Amino acid sequence: MAIRANPQLIEELEIYGAEDVSKCYHCGNCSAVCPFSREPFLFPRKSMRYLQMGLEEKLKGNLDPWLCYYCGECSDECPRDAEPGETMMSLRRWLTSQYDFTGISKIFYRSWKIEIAAILLVAALTGLGFWRFGNSVGSLGVYDGPGAFFPSSAIHKFDWALGFLLGGLLLFNCARMWWFSIGRDPGIRIPVSAYVRRFFLLPFHFFSQDRYRQCGKKRPWAIHLVLMLSYLTMLVLIMFFLHLVQSGPGIDWRVHAFGYLATAGLLGTTAFALYGRIRKTETHYKHSHESDWIFLILLAYVSGTGIVQHVLHRAGLDTAANMTYLAHMMGVVPMLGLEVPFSKWAHLAYRPLAMYFSALQEEAIEVRRRTSEETAPLRAA
Amino acid sequence: MGECRIGVYICNCGTNIAKVVDCDAVARAAQALSGVVVARSYKYTCSTPGQETIVKDIRELGLDRVVVAACSPRMHEPTFRRALQTAGINPYFLEMANIREQCSWVHSDPRAATEKAVDLMRAAVRRVVWHEPLEKRYVDMCHTTLVLGGGIAGLTAALELAEADKPVVLVEKQDHLGGNVARVDLTAPYLDSARDMLRDRVEQVRKHPMIQVLLESELEALEGYVGNFKAHIRTKEGPFDTPAGAVVVCTGYQEFDASRIEHYGYGRLPNVITSFELEQMLRQGRVLTREGKPPRCVALIHCVGSRSPEYHPYCSRVCCMTALKYGHEIKSNLPRCYVYDLYIDMHAFGKGCEDFYRRTSEMKTMFLMYEKGDLPRIEPAGDGDGCGMLIRIHEKLSGEEIEVPADLVVLMVGMEPREDAARVARLVNISQDKDGWFIESHPKLDPVATTTEGIFIAGACQAPKGIPGSVAQAQAASARILAKLAHEKIEVDAVFAEVNDDLCSGCRICNELCPYTAIEYDTARKRSHVISAMCKACGCCVAACPSGAIKGRHFTDRQITAQIEGVLEWASSQG
Repeated sequence: MAIRANPQLIEELEIYGAEDVSKCYHCGNCSAVCPFSREPFLFPRKSMRYLQMGLEEKLKGNLDPWLCYYCGECSDECPRDAEPGETMMSLRRWLTSQYDFTGISKIFYRSWKIEIAAILLVAALTGLGFWRFGNSVGSLGVYDGPGAFFPSSAIHKFDWALGFLLGGLLLFNCARMWWFSIGRDPGIRIPVSAYVRRFFLLPFHFFSQDRYRQCGKKRPWAIHLVLMLSYLTMLVLIMFFLHLVQSGPGIDWRVHAFGYLATAGLLGTTAFALYGRIRKTETHYKHSHESDWIFLILLAYVSGTGIVQHVLHRAGLDTAANMTYLAHMMGVVPMLGLEVPFSKWAHLAYRPLAMYFSALQEEAIEVRRRTSEETAPLRAA
Repeated sequence: MGECRIGVYICNCGTNIAKVVDCDAVARAAQALSGVVVARSYKYTCSTPGQETIVKDIRELGLDRVVVAACSPRMHEPTFRRALQTAGINPYFLEMANIREQCSWVHSDPRAATEKAVDLMRAAVRRVVWHEPLEKRYVDMCHTTLVLGGGIAGLTAALELAEADKPVVLVEKQDHLGGNVARVDLTAPYLDSARDMLRDRVEQVRKHPMIQVLLESELEALEGYVGNFKAHIRTKEGPFDTPAGAVVVCTGYQEFDASRIEHYGYGRLPNVITSFELEQMLRQGRVLTREGKPPRCVALIHCVGSRSPEYHPYCSRVCCMTALKYGHEIKSNLPRCYVYDLYIDMHAFGKGCEDFYRRTSEMKTMFLMYEKGDLPRIEPAGDGDGCGMLIRIHEKLSGEEIEVPADLVVLMVGMEPREDAARVARLVNISQDKDGWFIESHPKLDPVATTTEGIFIAGACQAPKGIPGSVAQAQAASARILAKLAHEKIEVDAVFAEVNDDLCSGCRICNELCPYTAIEYDTARKRSHVISAMCKACGCCVAACPSGAIKGRHFTDRQITAQIEGVLEWASSQG
């Protein structure tokens, strides 16, 4: 069945940052230089082609963009400045919006103004909510213990509730990703045993970023790994050890040592990325979508306010610490609530999932090849 | 004639000859032949020192015949003839033995090749003894040039010559000047108006006192030879005769008949049109479907009739850039219209073209590649398809079956030789290649001359080409003609056939046979006569004459027999 060419898709993808894809004339340099490009995942050229012809459904089920870590060598080698690396990046944004069933992601990627307005709205609601809640259970002058403005037990519950909500949303989007890339294709038959056997890929790639390490350039991987591990450390501290983190005014090195490391990691890598994007120091920093700036600025803001409130509390300035905490929460809630399921942060789930799914796809292709080989002589006879 | 003093020079041609033929052995064999005064083997005989050796030997040893055993005479015969002339002897006292193309390049056994080289050398030595001194001849040159065709090439050639104060007769079949360029809107890659370009030229040609324009006219016959042609032209007022010194053929091309590719539906599907029909719409500034609506999507199909084993195997050169140009023009006429470009390969050679291709890509023309033997298929669309037609294409870059919606399909028809090209070729005595294009004298070094002296070709009648190529060829042809006209007389080769009046019986067998129509029959005297300026010394008449009345100068029976004897001498000595 022939697929209808659609010239409008390329126009749509422009909003997601793929501005140069029409320049590509398929010399194949990008795929030749890419260390990851191999059968059956021949990117970036194949994705460029699908996009040029507007094969929307093919692209929706295409895992290639997630298998690319944007080392930028393809864009450097492109004789036509078609920016294959940035096209893959744009496709990741577009795929995020396709996986998201609520449609919010699409709205955010298409309009940074709406995204910022939503962030401000959630921030304002968060501020208002916590202000009223804090005043009802405690006093602004108390940081820790009984009568605290932000009692750690309540915050802990709130964190878990938020975590479940976001996790649920993300899980649903992940299921859609599975459906687009594997589920709906009757040609892909994957035995349950393969799902089980390959499952280790998920945590492995999540924690190690091992594929990123295999790119020609190592520094971006190292920076990304530090950022990711710092973020994870912070997540673990907050989800499981919040009462210790929030205690004081003394320093509890069992948790705070990790907290300091993670904060340094977050601030350092964010500053590096911001500097890189402003000065366009590397190929993958040359093009910045609005969503990239929002992500980095939120991260820097949250890390900054987090460490400031911690310092203020140690300095005995509990009122100021609580005010900063409020400001911190006004960053955290929109950052997690909007960015994780609907924007750039979703990639922390999609990337390892893509490694998992692509391994399954490969296995399915292998099974198909084997069965056709086995049945061929029978058919011939 | 045993008193000849012969010098024999065996060229090694670097290693081209020497790697198979033992050149020193050939020289030693030459030395032993009667009449040979000196025989030398040398690395490059055609080099300056090589030629100087010959000149020195002629002067110091009193040589009166020279044999060079080297490459084909096509390559260096003129070079060595000049050397003989420099040394003060008649240049036709030279004979070449081809021991490269006819020996070292085609043989691998050194012993046998050396023997053959000796045979060839010996044949040349035997022949050269019988060479006669020949003198070049000169004939008067008429200054008028006949230009056939009033397209961009013909207009240019006429103007160039007229500007040099040489009279021109311009013959155009149609009722207006401009040819195929007059049917074009803008030109690629700079999007200049073809009309503006042409208008100026046509004006100048029409007003020029040195140019006589004959519209709705055709060449009926051409007689004579270089410098002295006589053209019979049919005009709408009646027959018109003019003398001409040279002819520039600029008869151009015709477009491929798109209805020949049946499944493209040209003539059957109303909105399948040719590139020239789109040009017409663009010139009128309105691109519309047959239903009078602006198309939402236009598909351009490249290589219609070109690069195909069934139709024309060659590339028509201009259609790729023309299609890109349509991309620009359609988008500027209808900004919301989508353009699809279905191509085999994008040929974007030439100045500004690659850049133009890039700019068209940036305008989001969708390029889809198809395989040479797997042409796209056009079908009328159904009601729910939202477009007039659907084109199915096996897209080569993705390997996918793609369906392209189109309200208007433009077939980029290629160029083919005009229907009457064969007639024109016969009239002016030039040849056509297997595709029907006129053949140039040398594809690289002499692209506007033909094998008939005084007949030049320019523009798309020679091969598909665009405006710059046509203009350049027209200017080149004019320059070649002006160079000839700079001399009052033109040189005619001394080698030609001669009829001995006493022996000629007037049977006229040779008249019909001559491929260059160089033989005239004098009805009063009942004798045939060779027009030496037109004769190419092919020898057909010499061989055919039942009375033995025709002699080929430089190819006399005695010379040929001596040559044959020379070859066979070794064989006969072996018994």
